[in-house]
Amino acid sequence: MKIELLVNSGCSACAQAEAIWRLVADERELELAVLDIAQTAGAARVAQLALKAVPALLVDGELKAVGVVCLEDARQLTQAAPLKAHAMLSRMGMFFSRENRWFIVSAQIYLMLAGIGLVLNGSLLSDSASRPAFLHLFTLGFMLFMIYGLGAHMLPRFTGNPLVEGSAGAWLQMGLAHLGVTAYAAGYLAGWQALTLGGAVCAWGSLLIFSLRVWPVLWSSQRN
Amino acid sequence: MHKRNRLFVSIALVYGLMGGLVAILRLIDPALIPGNVPRMHGHIMLLGLILMMIYGIALHVLPRFGGFPLYSERMADWQLYLANAGLPLMIVGWLTMSDGWVVAGGVMSYAAIVLFGLNMILTVKATRSASHEN
Repeated sequence: MKIELLVNSGCSACAQAEAIWRLVADERELELAVLDIAQTAGAARVAQLALKAVPALLVDGELKAVGVVCLEDARQLTQAAPLKAHAMLSRMGMFFSRENRWFIVSAQIYLMLAGIGLVLNGSLLSDSASRPAFLHLFTLGFMLFMIYGLGAHMLPRFTGNPLVEGSAGAWLQMGLAHLGVTAYAAGYLAGWQALTLGGAVCAWGSLLIFSLRVWPVLWSSQRN
Repeated sequence: MHKRNRLFVSIALVYGLMGGLVAILRLIDPALIPGNVPRMHGHIMLLGLILMMIYGIALHVLPRFGGFPLYSERMADWQLYLANAGLPLMIVGWLTMSDGWVVAGGVMSYAAIVLFGLNMILTVKATRSASHEN
């Protein structure tokens, strides 16, 4: 959708109209062109449309209004244009998304499983052969899952940049993380090196996916 | 979110991936990486992934939860420099089995921890003093 706003630099209503349309352009995927009628492009548009007053509004080349269009009407006029991602974010609630809720719930389950190491060995850092299994249930299972759930929930809110919720990437990350922790721990407990290695690779893959998901949230120039 | 805090979180992720890779290589063949690999892996994950992540998030949220600005931005900047000078030095020390590098890196990492701790205490203390005044 292309919005053209014809303005005159000396007109206060034009400044008001421009401010309203810049707000709308920040919310919706649309092309906004503010044309000063004292400049060549603006003057040509005025002549072409035989306009007598500004501000004037054109939507996809069609004259829609002369005068200031209020914010509500401007939003109504641009309803067909898709919302920008960060505008969608502002419409999100404060509660956990489904996958982040699962990350947090899973973390608590892994914490309880890791705690069994305390009961069996008297310490998470005992000299027992099962030490890596319980230690990694705590670090990979509890700590990393907490980072996944809280990080994906909080970072978009801290930076103002969106993170797509419920994406295939998020669920793949979840699947790999579960596969990784359980295979890693089971591999150590069973003394099966290949299973441990497979688990480590899956857990690493989940961290890679998480990093790729949150990197644009941290470094997108949209809101930072 | 302050650029320094975003750096902390980003660096945490990089350390996490690096530490994971170290573990995978060690599982494939313990001779692939020289030095004290288990210790290196443990510290990359704890000081690199977990602590840097906590630094980034805590420096952002704790002042906001308290309702007061961070006590010292400069301390937090130095915390970033020291933490990220210290851990690589420790890694070099474990790779080369050189205790001197490990100790030097450890001192820097500890200095970063102290800066963070003091900065947080002074930020939270400012919050508490103000609430007592009110």
